[in-house]
Amino acid sequence: MRERIRVRTFLVFGGLFLFLFCYAVANLPPWGSYRGPYGDVISRVSVYERHATDAVNAVNYDYRAFDTLGEEFILFTAVLGVMMLLRREEGTVTRDAGKVKDNIRLSTTVRVTAMPVILLTVIFGFYIGLHGQLTPGGGFQAGVILASIPFLLYVCENTETFRRITSHTAVEVIEALGASSYVLIGMTSLVMGAPFLSNFLPLGTTGDVFSSGTIALISVCIGFEVTAAFLLVGYTYLEEIITGELPEE
Amino acid sequence: MACARKWLNRVMADSLGILLAGITLVISCALLAKVMHGPNVYWFGNWYPHGSVIVGISFLADPISIGLAVLAATLTLLSLIFSWRLLGSGSNYFQPLMLIFLAAMSGFCLTIDIFNLFVFFELMSTAAFALCGLKIEEPAPLQGSFNFAVTNTIAAFLVLTGIALLYAVTGALNMAQIGLALGARHDPLVLFAFALLTCGFFVKAAIVPFHLWLPDAHAVAPTPVCVLFSGLMVQLGLLAVARLRFVVFAQTFASHETSLQTIFHFLGILTVLVGGLMCYSEHHLKRMLAFSTICHMGIMLLALALGGALGFAAMLAYLVGHAFVKGSLFLTSGILLHRLRAIGERSLFAKGKVLRWTAALWFLGSLGLAAAPPFILMTGEAGISKAAEQMSRSWISEICMLGGMLTSAATLRIGMHTFFGWGEEPITDEASEIGELPETASEDRRIFWYQFVPALISISIPIVLFVTPLWLSVLRNESAVFTRQSAVLHLVYLGGPVTGQLPAWNETFKASAVRGAVAFFLAILLACTSVFRHRLKRTFRIGAFLESGLRPLRVMQSGHPGDYVLWLTIGLSIMGTISVILLRS
Amino acid sequence: MPDILHLAPYYVAAWLFFCGLYGLVSSRHLVHSVICLAILQSSTYILLLGIGYRIGGAAPIFADIDPGKLTVDPIVQALMLTDVVVEAVVVALLLAMVVKAHEKSGTVSPDELRTLRG
Repeated sequence: MRERIRVRTFLVFGGLFLFLFCYAVANLPPWGSYRGPYGDVISRVSVYERHATDAVNAVNYDYRAFDTLGEEFILFTAVLGVMMLLRREEGTVTRDAGKVKDNIRLSTTVRVTAMPVILLTVIFGFYIGLHGQLTPGGGFQAGVILASIPFLLYVCENTETFRRITSHTAVEVIEALGASSYVLIGMTSLVMGAPFLSNFLPLGTTGDVFSSGTIALISVCIGFEVTAAFLLVGYTYLEEIITGELPEE
Repeated sequence: MACARKWLNRVMADSLGILLAGITLVISCALLAKVMHGPNVYWFGNWYPHGSVIVGISFLADPISIGLAVLAATLTLLSLIFSWRLLGSGSNYFQPLMLIFLAAMSGFCLTIDIFNLFVFFELMSTAAFALCGLKIEEPAPLQGSFNFAVTNTIAAFLVLTGIALLYAVTGALNMAQIGLALGARHDPLVLFAFALLTCGFFVKAAIVPFHLWLPDAHAVAPTPVCVLFSGLMVQLGLLAVARLRFVVFAQTFASHETSLQTIFHFLGILTVLVGGLMCYSEHHLKRMLAFSTICHMGIMLLALALGGALGFAAMLAYLVGHAFVKGSLFLTSGILLHRLRAIGERSLFAKGKVLRWTAALWFLGSLGLAAAPPFILMTGEAGISKAAEQMSRSWISEICMLGGMLTSAATLRIGMHTFFGWGEEPITDEASEIGELPETASEDRRIFWYQFVPALISISIPIVLFVTPLWLSVLRNESAVFTRQSAVLHLVYLGGPVTGQLPAWNETFKASAVRGAVAFFLAILLACTSVFRHRLKRTFRIGAFLESGLRPLRVMQSGHPGDYVLWLTIGLSIMGTISVILLRS
Repeated sequence: MPDILHLAPYYVAAWLFFCGLYGLVSSRHLVHSVICLAILQSSTYILLLGIGYRIGGAAPIFADIDPGKLTVDPIVQALMLTDVVVEAVVVALLLAMVVKAHEKSGTVSPDELRTLRG
């Protein structure tokens, strides 16, 4: 279909859809007056039932832990997909990788500033990961923060360091172990006679780092998995660029 | 499995995959045996409802859901056996992805929490995108995979928006609780949410005009993946619509049954016609099978739209039969690809003369597509005609017959060309000239037992199920439970046993058998007018005329993702408008 | 006027959805299409978060406030949190498809990649 016809037809029907959306949404309760029972119930009981002061993470890793398991597997599958799509088949023609030499060395200022930033990021990442059940944070966020460290290293050092860190097989293993440990935690509660993914560890006192049972543990496992996932994606893309096939003309 | 990936060689990875799929099948069957006594609600994390507010996620394990999970496990097992030493799944990415796909489909069938449904929908889609683009040596798979990904991701967002709107209104995420809280509300918000959710799942279920991604995805995906796509993934879209309709929106539409039925009937007929006509005009084996899936999805939507337990039970019978027949046809086309190194009608012409057993499988498949007697597709069709009679819309059975005839004729035509070599060179078109790189190594071109046996099993299961109708009474009674909102509420909140009753529909069997046989006979006629077109006078060349395709339909299927999104928007806005206008009290 | 302000976030979400769809329909570059999908995703987030907000409510972190106090809804935040990270990686998957498509056909324009026509 020619582009102009397509766009014009879309403007008609898309506009109709937009109008419908706004018309329907006008029936929503006004913004800022959330009424529903679900959130209120959780806010009231999560501290007592789980000794976790962060209700959002309590929902994520306990009340609706199964959803989070599913989401984590979407992450895992997507990374698997990326690695599969950009894989090297035998017999394909690739550019010579050799030892990658960067032509540009970044200025000393950048590299000197990056070092303390990396140190701060490490500490911050671990802090966020371990305190998921107490303050906003948790596994997903910590994973992303920690995954940015090799990228910072890439900025302040060169490509070779980055490749050395991320191409290690350990990264893949950590990712898979992170995902499977989530399932294993769930299965452990099965073994103990309660339904899948029940909270079975001692709950501790509210406000402590080691409170709220499996919430903290699951959070840490997810942290590992997300870090490894992002590193794998970064590594695969970089490999693709460095040793990529020559595009057909 | 993924962490051991690098160290496993090919054979071990394949056997591990098969083993795990087999274990899943065994577990699912054991569960099925257990819930035969009555459905069961399973609360994750031990979170029972707090009063009337449900705080956890639950699975509703009734025989229907578990039955579908068993179906998923069976199809995955057959596909994994078929893909033993399949080329291009190097580095062992294929098996974990297939297993994750299986897990996602099973979870999708079982859940009764709407956000959990969305999560499994996304997981299923992501695994599907990755599996679809498995063959990276050609440009076409990546394009097909991209179109698939874009369309289905938009569908996921539509579903999420619908969920958000429902949450705003009811403050709940469990389907039973939402249904209870919605009551008989009729305002445009609820109707718009319904339109969003339905359209999102219709994209997955390949209902016109949301169907455009399906042929592209099927034409390029590896054969075992196609089996799963057509066999179950697409049908799960309709299952989601069924769950929504019977549990969440049950009371909303209680006073507008006929309008809703009319809308769904219209879409169903459109899907059957478009799917059937395009199916006949395709010359690439897998695309043709993809369009036949679309046509049969239209039939299933018609069944669902007839409402009530009878329609739903008929749809399920048809679904199971179709899954296995279509699976067998795809596996057979995979055998053809392996043996003859071609997948287009012209390139396959007369080359299959020596493959007698494969030919038998193929023609059995076309018999099945026409809903002829020895397959349980006929049982489903009988249910449809009974329900149609009850609603005094018996012309629906004729539409089903037409759909079956068109798809069966297409497979017959290709079969005649390939296995018998009748007629002249077949007409061909751009799409089928793409060709496809063979999926197996070229040294050994015998047909292996591990390729043939899954196809054989797949085609014989519907026959076996037809001959032993014990499961049919369970299906009927459980459909009655599934489709009653009060029964589901009772199960979720009280956990108590519920039973249902649905009378059998044996009396329509004979009429359906006749219709199926007639459809098959007409299909043979149509295929012959196409195959022998040079010997017929111009007026009789109906087949050839249909075969060159109807130009507007072909233009619609353009391969450009922007076009697909446009059709999606058109369908979405029309559906939204109709819902808000027609269904307002 | 007050009515519109009361529902402003929802209208913004609707508008973003429309923009994302428009971008997809008129796109001439596959990477642009993928980013439009990210826009669609943002619109759903705004809708979700807007639904859960409560004027005068505190964050649902009870480290320093009593559990009985008025808070915003933690459920939608929980739903959204995992989604953000997950969709980022799904976008990576789609971009990998685009990269491979470019590698194989030398082009990233959907108009030129028409092997699946008809």
